[in-house]
Amino acid sequence: MTAGLYVHVPFCITRCGYCDFNTYAGLEDLRSPYVGALMREAELASPAWSETQFVSLFLGGGTPTTLPIHDMVRLLDHLRATLDVTADAEVTSEANPDTVDPAYLAGLREAGISRLSMGLQSFDPDVLRALERLHSAESAVAAFQAARATGFDNVNLDLIYGAAGETISSWRRTLEATVALRPEHVSAYALTIEPATPLGRKVAAGLVPAPDADLQTDMYATTCEVLGAAGYEHYEVSNWALPGRRCVHNLGYWEGRSYLGLGAGAHSFAGDRRWWNVRPPQQYLEIVAASRLPIGDEERLDGDARSLERLLLGLRLVDGIPESWLESPERADAFVAEGLAERRDGRLALTDRGMFLANELVTDLAG
Amino acid sequence: MPTTPLSLIRNFCNVAHIDHGKSTLADRFLELTHAVAERQMREQYLDRMDLERERGITIKAQAVRLRYASAPPDSAGEGGRRATPPREFELNLIDTPGHVDFTYEVSRSLAACEGAILLVDAAQGIEAQTLANFHLARDAGLIIVPAVNKIDLAQAAVEETVRELAELVGCADEDVLRVSAKSGAGVTELLDAVIDRVPPPSGDRDAPLRALIFDSSYDPYRGVIAYVRVVDGKIGGRARIRFMSTARPYEAEEVGVFAPDAVPFDELAAGDVGYLVTGVKDVRQAKVGDTITGEDRPAAEALPGYQEPKPMVWSGLYPAEGVDYSLLRDALDKLRLSDASLAYEPESSLALGFGFRCGFLGLLHMEIVKERLEREFDLELIATSPNVEFRVARNGGAEILSVHNPSEMPVPGTYDWVEEPFVLATVITPSAYLGPVMELCQSRRGTLGDMKYLSPERAELHYLLPLADIIFDFFDQLKSRTRGYASLDYEHWGYERSDLVRVDILLQGEPVDAFSAVVPRDRAYQYGRALTERLRELIPRQLFEVAIQAAIGSRVIARETVRAKRKDVLAKCYGGDITRKRKLLERQKEGKKRMRRVGRVDVPQEAFIAALRVETSASSSSTGGKR
Repeated sequence: MTAGLYVHVPFCITRCGYCDFNTYAGLEDLRSPYVGALMREAELASPAWSETQFVSLFLGGGTPTTLPIHDMVRLLDHLRATLDVTADAEVTSEANPDTVDPAYLAGLREAGISRLSMGLQSFDPDVLRALERLHSAESAVAAFQAARATGFDNVNLDLIYGAAGETISSWRRTLEATVALRPEHVSAYALTIEPATPLGRKVAAGLVPAPDADLQTDMYATTCEVLGAAGYEHYEVSNWALPGRRCVHNLGYWEGRSYLGLGAGAHSFAGDRRWWNVRPPQQYLEIVAASRLPIGDEERLDGDARSLERLLLGLRLVDGIPESWLESPERADAFVAEGLAERRDGRLALTDRGMFLANELVTDLAG
Repeated sequence: MPTTPLSLIRNFCNVAHIDHGKSTLADRFLELTHAVAERQMREQYLDRMDLERERGITIKAQAVRLRYASAPPDSAGEGGRRATPPREFELNLIDTPGHVDFTYEVSRSLAACEGAILLVDAAQGIEAQTLANFHLARDAGLIIVPAVNKIDLAQAAVEETVRELAELVGCADEDVLRVSAKSGAGVTELLDAVIDRVPPPSGDRDAPLRALIFDSSYDPYRGVIAYVRVVDGKIGGRARIRFMSTARPYEAEEVGVFAPDAVPFDELAAGDVGYLVTGVKDVRQAKVGDTITGEDRPAAEALPGYQEPKPMVWSGLYPAEGVDYSLLRDALDKLRLSDASLAYEPESSLALGFGFRCGFLGLLHMEIVKERLEREFDLELIATSPNVEFRVARNGGAEILSVHNPSEMPVPGTYDWVEEPFVLATVITPSAYLGPVMELCQSRRGTLGDMKYLSPERAELHYLLPLADIIFDFFDQLKSRTRGYASLDYEHWGYERSDLVRVDILLQGEPVDAFSAVVPRDRAYQYGRALTERLRELIPRQLFEVAIQAAIGSRVIARETVRAKRKDVLAKCYGGDITRKRKLLERQKEGKKRMRRVGRVDVPQEAFIAALRVETSASSSSTGGKR
């Protein structure tokens, strides 16, 4: 069996206002003990995954690149020693432009990182400010070029659109500047306001306008247009890649593959079971130190949940789902007629326009 | 308890304009006669329903027996010395509602009495319902005991009010009593005057039983409890009785009086007012206005009953959850028992499912019924916009169709004319506000009848107005244009022809029956515009553009568009998030199930409710409650 391996690093220099991930600023002292705990957790988890080949490894966060490089090296070495990570596995680390310099990047390559995912977000300084990002566009470009110079030939750039004040033309400039760098992969996300974030509270209080859905739709269409014209394939709602450069790890989620998550708050999935670790890093450390798996809770997916997940994940992808997954395939007729979906070789796939309405379509198509 | 001789019984009620102090006066009577222990006393004691206490209004009439020791009238003459010991009287007081919607409750109560205290607020003077209630009481042949209340208020114009009242009743100024129900001043004198002036009931206690049901309530354990005035004969617990309109025999389970809590008695005799636990479980068997007689020795003739009150305002009541339909039916059956004026017939709506078209006396009555159904029967209800009954004439008037639901109004061209109910409204206003009052009445399609000055400062106007135009915010408007000084009462006049049209609301060309309305032709455009605009804000964006139209027949008079939805997506969906995102979509899916589908358009129930919500709350319309 093949699976993905996810490692969560819950440290950031500062928290961004829009982010609701399990991440913390000011816990730098915990970094080395935390790496030790990740290594221990891999040992504790390994017996259940002894028959599994991990075809991807993804260091996410938080900001994995806040880890000292020697911690990064010993972590990756230990994971490969403990779990069956295949030789040609895609090994990605998220990277914040502010946390990498040429020496660090060289260290990442030595540690075996083959792919970088950099949070660039925007080339518009106003947008970066609205997102409370520390870096400037220039430093992001510098970090990207440093990565190239170090030999990284598989780099993703993360972008966010729809922040307060951003216009279509500003977004187009961001896209064009991104394309000019020729990254192998681009993730472009419509800014989503999560209630339990500083930005969410500002929006709720009326201090910041909520993103305009129509403007975001226009920005999405611009994204499809600019990236498509530049040779990027739109293979998932928010993801574009040059041919052959799709993200193996994330495809695993959408295709329903198993995954093992290590670290505070990390989720794992195998068979019909999904479970997740305790979120607070300190608590995570304590439990692992006691040689116990730090599982916080779990769920068993029943038939309905599984089939809904299959649809909601599968329809995010450009190739969609086999029509046989649908209880009533004729429900898709109207969507096909409206140009929101297409039928190809017994499969149903959403068009660019349809992908941006995926929730609406999935809830209509599901049982 | 021994039966009180007729000569020591007085049956009377309090009538007044709303807020003139009826319920407070009843409180003083309860205290003065020691009917309620001091520590149990609370304000507006007789308003038992939560709703009554919250709104400060009386909805249901209450009958209460008081025992009162009074000096005999002949002994309290000039010197005030009592030559003989006081005699103990049995006073049956009926506290009645003041709101115009409940006029029928007042008239029913009057039939159980020989006298009425007509109470007028010294600071307000005679108001519209003072007149209305006076006429009701006089027409019922009651002795009127006029009293001016609130004499201790700083702004009281006692002597002026006394003169107005004496003139109305046709008595001398000194026959008008002066009281403060709040402080209790003059209340004893008022009770003495009731005993002195109101005649004892007549009736033959040896004749066959005849008892008039003037009100009733329903107890889930004991069945129908009838409030009765015994006119002839006697009735004891365990007596075999029959309702004269149905002739079905029952066994009385208990008789008694409210004092003010229920106190069982061995028997009630002619002249008494009390209650009878009938043992009747089918609410339709014990009608208010029916006569109860003895099964063994039935009376030959029933007492004159009441004209059944006619519902004037109609609205569709639908359970928010379709499965509650049968619960709603049971609840209406039960409520009707204590509220004979409530009418209902099953109907179904494309948009709202199965429900009932219900007839009410007015908007306050509608609001109260809805609230009682929701509270007492734990239901959640949607009410359609209220409307009056229309009469559609065909074949030159040979055929008349009564329409209670606007969506059933025939299309233009298939009938000759339409009639709607009119009322004769009495407005009393300071002369200074005559202009604004007349302007308001004219804008509501009113026709001025006569007008007279009660004094140089106060005028009484009579207007013929379509009922539909006064049930909504007329009273609010009247109050705001007269700084709260004007008062309103109305009586039903009859049906008159009007130029009315049915306006339909269509979603993607499909009519939504719940939003159809019958309106004056010159207001059709305004109505259509208002509702389409409101719906545009309430209907969520769909995958396609939704046209909202208002139309008369096939002619579209207003149009709004809900633009197509373009974005509904989870931007990020990765490993850790999947459970949470799936739950989001599960909720979205559930939400869709609760949508009502009109053609292709999904409309959340909340949108229907919001669009149907009447602009102004009913409790503030017409004569309103205390706030």
